[in-house]
Amino acid sequence: MSGPKLQATGLSFGYDPARPVVKDVSFHVDAGEVVFLLGHNGSGKTSLLACLSGAQRAGAGRVTIDGRDVHAMAPTERAQRIGMIPQLHVAVFGYDVLDVVLMGRAPHLATFSAPTREDRAIALESLDRVGLAGFHDRRYTQLSGGERQLVLVARGLTQRCDVLLMDEPDAHLDPRNQLRVLEVVETLAREHRLSFVVSSHAPNSALMFADRVLLLRRGRTLALGSVEETLTEALLSEAYAMPTEVVTKTVNGHRMPRAILPRRIDRVPEAIATMTLDPGALERPGSVLATLVQASRTQPQRILVTGSRGSGKSRWCERLVEMARRRDWRIAGVLSPPVMDGDRKVGIDLLDLASGERQRLADVRRGAGEGTTTERWRFEDATLAWGNDVLRRASQSLPQLLVVDELGPLELQRDVGLSAGIAAIDGVQQGLACVVVRPSLLDVALKRWPDAVVVDVED
Amino acid sequence: MPPLNGAGTGGRAASGRDHAEHAGVASARPWRDVLTIVALASPALLGVVALTLGFYQISVLDVARSLLSSVLPAAAAEVPEIARRLVLDVRLPRVLAAMLIGAGLAVTGAVFQGIFTNPLVDSGLLGVTAGAGFGAALAMLLGADGVMVQTAAFAFGLFAVTMAFLGSRLYRSAPTILLTLMGILIGSFFASLTSLLKYLADPLDTLPSITFWLLGGLTGIGWRSLPLLATLTVAGAVFFVLVRWRLNVLSLGDAEATALGMHPQRMKILLIVASTLVTAVAVAVGGVIGWVGLVIPHAARMLVGPDHLRLIPMSLALGASFLLTIDTVSRSLLPSEVPLGVLTGLVGVPLLIALLRRQGAGW
Repeated sequence: MSGPKLQATGLSFGYDPARPVVKDVSFHVDAGEVVFLLGHNGSGKTSLLACLSGAQRAGAGRVTIDGRDVHAMAPTERAQRIGMIPQLHVAVFGYDVLDVVLMGRAPHLATFSAPTREDRAIALESLDRVGLAGFHDRRYTQLSGGERQLVLVARGLTQRCDVLLMDEPDAHLDPRNQLRVLEVVETLAREHRLSFVVSSHAPNSALMFADRVLLLRRGRTLALGSVEETLTEALLSEAYAMPTEVVTKTVNGHRMPRAILPRRIDRVPEAIATMTLDPGALERPGSVLATLVQASRTQPQRILVTGSRGSGKSRWCERLVEMARRRDWRIAGVLSPPVMDGDRKVGIDLLDLASGERQRLADVRRGAGEGTTTERWRFEDATLAWGNDVLRRASQSLPQLLVVDELGPLELQRDVGLSAGIAAIDGVQQGLACVVVRPSLLDVALKRWPDAVVVDVED
Repeated sequence: MPPLNGAGTGGRAASGRDHAEHAGVASARPWRDVLTIVALASPALLGVVALTLGFYQISVLDVARSLLSSVLPAAAAEVPEIARRLVLDVRLPRVLAAMLIGAGLAVTGAVFQGIFTNPLVDSGLLGVTAGAGFGAALAMLLGADGVMVQTAAFAFGLFAVTMAFLGSRLYRSAPTILLTLMGILIGSFFASLTSLLKYLADPLDTLPSITFWLLGGLTGIGWRSLPLLATLTVAGAVFFVLVRWRLNVLSLGDAEATALGMHPQRMKILLIVASTLVTAVAVAVGGVIGWVGLVIPHAARMLVGPDHLRLIPMSLALGASFLLTIDTVSRSLLPSEVPLGVLTGLVGVPLLIALLRRQGAGW
């Protein structure tokens, strides 16, 4: 029989139905597959697992195993198909390891019966499979965290089900034990065709062990797909509302993600040569800027304006625009001046340099947002559409100065947002083209425009 | 520092220690097995011994002959009539009652500790003891005695737990926590009502009898009290023994038990109802006898570990032996009979402290 093993379709769930914590999530697990659930605290991972296990009934949508509705099954039957391996906990009673593993036989035994010799044999075999042969008469409470987690995996095996759900198996474990537990999971999936759904707070675990990843954000699917498709800087930054860096390694010509790190400081990489330019130098013949302007009459000259957050990238562009206006240049493109409330930045406007028209581009996010989002800002889709029109017209008007403020991860990594800005910079025939780019995206921008001059406004 | 060496040394040290612990557990088992068998057989042995003891000493042989006389009339001829009457009509019902009450309180303590995942509770948690105490006091204040007092105690014990249960249903979340909270509240409420009754009672006549009843004791127990006590306790014990392996699964908590295919709420309600019936009848017959339900399951765990497959039978056996021993000491060795509830506390608390010390880290 083909088809997915476990399938969730349009799943929504909330402890209070008015406030769903899982919203319209669909995904599946095939036999022998390991799917990781990643997402911020409260993103709905545990609730989703509870729905998949049948412990919680979904408000909408359904969960099927081999095509059969999980919620229509009797609890014992369900527990023969789907096992739940809970988060590592301290047990109150110090059962022997074998007793803990034997509890996996519960769905196979009648209420008034106790495990038989065969049940014991199955439990011992399960212990052997997770590498804990000989641990049967140890006390569960005296094992190390990694061993306890493996005992719970063995209990799941003893349950003899096809799908095992694991709630943060790598939590509270040192790196070696995380590896040990997840290697067992990998082996069981490969060699015994067991399916795993693993929730985790460790994207690096997913990088190493996931066949596919479901990224959740505020209960919704942010991304679903292979490791390469889902564990990208843009998606992870959005999923965790934190600038994230994916360190890659090139193997046989393929760039392979190797590690996921939080990005603490957004600073120009040392390998990239930058220069300091003052917009005022436009007035001074012989200055670098004046030389660039000279050259731009025959060949387009691209400038990447960079610097850390708040260093004055937009202000630098504004000053250049002022200088250009004095000289009556044809100016086109967009600036994104901040909207301040006191000394707090509460919004971003978008200013069409050709017409002077101004629209609100983004507001600081408050609460859950729909539509195109980054970690801090909620964008007006109408303004984005207008901005893209402005930028398309800008590249056709043969400006002497084209400004695009700014191209961020949305544009450069996901091709959304003000993506017409990329085409505008690509398409300039002559003149100066200034693009505001944050330091972390310089390598992406330089790959696109290798001959661009990088101006660091902080220098 | 070469990290591989560091990790290697750490690993070896850890596994060395693990092996030592492992060996310690394994070598402790043989003498435990012997002790387990002795413990399981103890109620029968102690029962015979208890029948011989009292102000009038009766030999083991005469006790055996007396017991046989009910089925073999020929045996009766060889025993003095007074010894036979003492064994059959006075001591035997009391010995049986002590064993049944001890077994009932101990096994329901073990059951409650399992389903509430809390080794520090007993079956009085939901208010059955406090309710029964109030029922008995009320009956005595109204001038009832004997069976009426027992009936009132039994009825109010059940009533208190029902109140706690219904109270917890008023709210929709975390049923176990709320049930515990409601039990404690209802128990305290009935304890206050009992104090009120004692305040109202005649200090020369009714107050001493209420106080004495509340301290627990089996003085004057006859065959009349036994049918209900035996029926409920034996039926409860059979039920607990049959479902005892499920208690392991229940002790993991509701979420895990559900994932393992159980209806934890349904099973818990059945177990609470059975435990409450057993406890209520024990309190109705023997009065408030504390500590048995708390101490005995711990002692049983020391012997056989926390696995309920072995823990439940062991709690039954040790509970029966413990209360029988206490009651026999009380009635035959002490100059005057000390209330059972007092003695179980005086013996149970130091015993629990010693057990906790032995137990160390885990239960």
